[in-house]
Amino acid sequence: MLAKVKNFASKNNYTTMLLSLLAVLLLFFSITKAGTFWTVGTWKGIVMQFPEYGLMTIGVMFCFISGNIDMSFVALGDFATIMAVRYMAAHTTEGMSNGQMVGVILVSLLIVILIGALGGVINGVLIAYLNIPPVMATIAMQLVWLGLSTALTQGYAVTGVTPLFTEIGHTMLFGFLPVPLLVFIVVFLIAAFLLKYTTYGKKLYMIGTNVKAARFSAINTRGMIIGTFVLADIICCFGCMLMVSTMNSAKADYGTSYVMNVILILVLAGVLPDGGMGKIFNVLLAIISIQIISSGVNMFSSLNPYHASMIWGGLLIIVLILSTRFNGSGFKLRKRKKKV
Amino acid sequence: MNKAKIKRITGRTEFWIFLVLIIMCIAIQAVSGGQLFESNTVVTILRAMVVDGMFAMICLVVMVSGGFDLSFPAVAALAYSLSTTICVSMGWCNTNPIAGFLIAIVVGAVLGMFNGWIISNFKLNTMIITLGTQTFFVGITMGLLELKEITSTLPVGFRTFGESYLFEVQNSQGLRSTMTTMFIPFVLLCIVTSFVLNKTMFGRALYAIGGNEVSAERAGYNVKRVKFILYTVVGASAGFIGMIRVCMARQSIPKAMVGKEMTIIPAVILGGASIFGGEGSVFGTICAVAIITVVSNSMLLLGIDTYWQNFFNGLVILVGVTVSAIQAMRRRK
Amino acid sequence: MSEYLLEMTGICKSFAGVHALKNVNFKVRPGKVMCLAGENGCGKSTLVKIISGVYTKDEGEVLFEGKPITKITPAEATKLGIQVIYQDLSIFPNLTVMENLAINSEITAGKKLVNRKSWEATAKEALSKIGYDIDLNAKMGELSVADKQLVAICRALLFDAKLIIMDEPTTALTKKEVDALFKTARQLRDSGIAIMFISHKTEEIFEISDDVCIMRNGENVYAGPTKDLTPKEFTYHMTGRELTDDHFVTRNVSKEPVLKVDHLTLKNKFTDVSFELREGEILGITGLLGSGRTELALSLFGLEHPKEGSIYLNGEAVKISSPIKAQKLKIGYVPEDRLTEGLCLQQPISDNITLSSLKRLSNAIGLIKNKDILDDADIWKEKFSIKTDDVRKFASTLSGGNQQKIVLSKWLSNDLDVLILNGPTVGVDVGAKQDIHALVHDLANEGLAVIIISDDLSEVVVNCSRVIVMKEGRIVGEMSGDDITENKILEIIR
Repeated sequence: MLAKVKNFASKNNYTTMLLSLLAVLLLFFSITKAGTFWTVGTWKGIVMQFPEYGLMTIGVMFCFISGNIDMSFVALGDFATIMAVRYMAAHTTEGMSNGQMVGVILVSLLIVILIGALGGVINGVLIAYLNIPPVMATIAMQLVWLGLSTALTQGYAVTGVTPLFTEIGHTMLFGFLPVPLLVFIVVFLIAAFLLKYTTYGKKLYMIGTNVKAARFSAINTRGMIIGTFVLADIICCFGCMLMVSTMNSAKADYGTSYVMNVILILVLAGVLPDGGMGKIFNVLLAIISIQIISSGVNMFSSLNPYHASMIWGGLLIIVLILSTRFNGSGFKLRKRKKKV
Repeated sequence: MNKAKIKRITGRTEFWIFLVLIIMCIAIQAVSGGQLFESNTVVTILRAMVVDGMFAMICLVVMVSGGFDLSFPAVAALAYSLSTTICVSMGWCNTNPIAGFLIAIVVGAVLGMFNGWIISNFKLNTMIITLGTQTFFVGITMGLLELKEITSTLPVGFRTFGESYLFEVQNSQGLRSTMTTMFIPFVLLCIVTSFVLNKTMFGRALYAIGGNEVSAERAGYNVKRVKFILYTVVGASAGFIGMIRVCMARQSIPKAMVGKEMTIIPAVILGGASIFGGEGSVFGTICAVAIITVVSNSMLLLGIDTYWQNFFNGLVILVGVTVSAIQAMRRRK
Repeated sequence: MSEYLLEMTGICKSFAGVHALKNVNFKVRPGKVMCLAGENGCGKSTLVKIISGVYTKDEGEVLFEGKPITKITPAEATKLGIQVIYQDLSIFPNLTVMENLAINSEITAGKKLVNRKSWEATAKEALSKIGYDIDLNAKMGELSVADKQLVAICRALLFDAKLIIMDEPTTALTKKEVDALFKTARQLRDSGIAIMFISHKTEEIFEISDDVCIMRNGENVYAGPTKDLTPKEFTYHMTGRELTDDHFVTRNVSKEPVLKVDHLTLKNKFTDVSFELREGEILGITGLLGSGRTELALSLFGLEHPKEGSIYLNGEAVKISSPIKAQKLKIGYVPEDRLTEGLCLQQPISDNITLSSLKRLSNAIGLIKNKDILDDADIWKEKFSIKTDDVRKFASTLSGGNQQKIVLSKWLSNDLDVLILNGPTVGVDVGAKQDIHALVHDLANEGLAVIIISDDLSEVVVNCSRVIVMKEGRIVGEMSGDDITENKILEIIR
């Protein structure tokens, strides 16, 4: 048994590390905050909060595995949700029936999907066809989307969200399953399925490892990259839609800190923008760990959210340093690709 | 001048970026009915370039060495917030700001050393590392130390230094603009950066490491030491620039730097630096910063709502990186 | 003073219990060109690294100018006058020629500031050593490989080099450039510098070297003057096998050509290329670097797009727009550079083998079972005797020969009409080379049309039933059957 555990640990460095991290966190908060940590309220908070950026993390994970990075997803999502909420505001009238409201919500979701897809196509074309380094292309697009949103809203929040939408966002199904969590679980399962059981997932990892070799193996690499950005950005826009249901409005700069947080979570989980590596299960563990840290920190009245940020940053640095000692698991930062 | 020389000049990004700057200025001048080259507008634009231009310098040297620094805004914020907080509580800097600057530089250097230690000792992606330290430093600033905004209680020394100016200009309508004293450190930093990059072996080491790290090691450079010194100096400079910003804004706000890297780094790349390292110059970087500042500042002159500022900045950068990417593709063929 | 500049006796070196070098002896004479020859993985590079101080030897004696040297460090090697020009040349592509020439000596001199005049003087001095003329302000990255190499040589000469070691310097050079390089090498030799030249190309070694040391499996099997050897003996020492003059003999050649290339032209790369290929044939396309051979192959695989001329497959005109289209047309391509174009090193062997045949292994909506991938990979592992205990291991864990087998299986697991092999045995050890050749023969006999593109003439001669020789983008010769000999090809190629 012990040998089995050891074997597993040596083969799955990241999973082991994240599981131990999670165990330490749970133990720490159980001891220090025995009274409040294991309450329904705390865990309700935890499962209500992480789906927003959890979705974005899953979306960006696809970009990372394909060897790309996306910095534009929050700005794009904000733009998409601003357009959606504008549509909602224009078409929601008082005394609307639930059926009519569902119609409005579905159309606004369609708007979000279309804008997300558009953003993904632009990112993908800039990277796959114009050969712009992904960081640069997506930072520029981030400014463009942010600029468009700011210009359209003059920096104000857009209100007028269909009441039913906010209501759904706060509903507990069967009394314990919040709708955002359900959305997250569904997306997570689909993503896991895509990566593990489809040819798309196989090809994605191969493209991330060596895009040229994939091209020489008759893989439609450009199509794959554009498709991946479309998929990723649509998922991220859904994450922003969850944000709308919490905030009851949309704004040009909602969730801007999520950009760095999402990258941090992914790196913590061993998914690097170098591509071709990482497991979705580890991403889940990292998302939960990060949320437990911030919820846990929140329970100490003397601490503020930035204490959590300090812990995240410190944790990332430690993990990165530890990761240089992992051998044989294929986790070694390759030298940055250079064009001479 | 022979053909090869002309070709070499026109082949450089700096040449084109300078050309774009000139053409853009002339165009704005024409459309806005001659308002851009009014003395007060020029002074305002130069003034607006000071802080961004200085940050661009430190980004430039890091990128030349093939690195990527996301943490400099966090370093600057922690350095100046800590410095002003200490000065306020100790009652320092009521006549001159020197002590405050020193503290910020030391704090910046220490944080830079931390970056440098990790980057030179572990073969890791610098972008990811500095993302981690950025989050960590922001956490220290606003979490561990809980540094607060200092506005009206800011020591007088900073205030008077920030308000001091070199000269004052007045345009035909009688609008006044002052040229801040901070322009001097800006110019000095540009000169020093240019000197270090071009005229010292350390600067050549940065280009060499950015060009080919293995060869730099074989050529006899102590790559680890160079990187450590680089990040330490960059940290110290970030602290210094942060203090300049505090003086100019006459307030110290820990959050003010958040997201600054996302506008500075693209500007540096627009100016000819490569994210793969080994390329970039002070002149090109200044031109790129000037382009972005001119675009932002001439919105009003052109009668465009200032809310469009980010959009146009994004567009300028997008066009810039696209053009250089297409050029690179052509060259490979 | 000893007659020899460098004498090495009884050198042994092992890594983790594996003997890389076993009792190696050899000598370098000043003012002579010495060739260190051997197939890949024979220990040549380990030996060079011991001389340059990167590795330390386990056993053995080193004499430099008659004096014994116990421990060599890279700095000490430089001081002694040993300079290594690595295959990557250790240059800075982003700096100018002047800076590349001067930077090393400026660092060694402990300078803190840049003095342009002194840099320029150093650079000019370096160039004057071999009387080489180049624009000092040109950017290094924009030079041709040959020019880069000469700059690297000039730089090495600044350190009063007594021994210059060149690691496979001719790999990326055209014939003309090789001639220029050899001229420089002779010039240096005549000035008293010893040159150690690492190579595996027979004709070059006979052209340039005075002495030769041949290594095989970590041992030196021959050391002595080159003129005492015949090319045949040389090859025997290198490979350990008698070279047979057997050709591949076609068995079932179809009447109608599978592939017909008609007046194909790709601007600046190749002009007016026409040929036919039948089932069961192995067609060799050979030519020097820059002759357009690789571009021709890429055009047949949809990665280059010639504007003029046409390609017919089974009598039908086709347009090959991308590798995906090529795959649909049943054309497979094994690329030139295994590491960058052929493999995803940090991924499982199984995924690499099945990468091009995922469609076949998956169901209608793209679902795939991991077990199917592993089973398929295992079939190829058996068929091709790929040496690994588990196909789930990364491709990077394999040797060059086994990696090449993966790339081959990737395409062979598709249903193919035409298989194009570009440099199929570059960097592959002798055993795997034989396996690959035997397999290709079998495939041709089963009715596949094969094209082998190679500059390894012995490979072309032994394996091809017909050979096309390309030069400067044009077909300059064609021969078949027993007419194919190395000498004949060499005559046309030059």
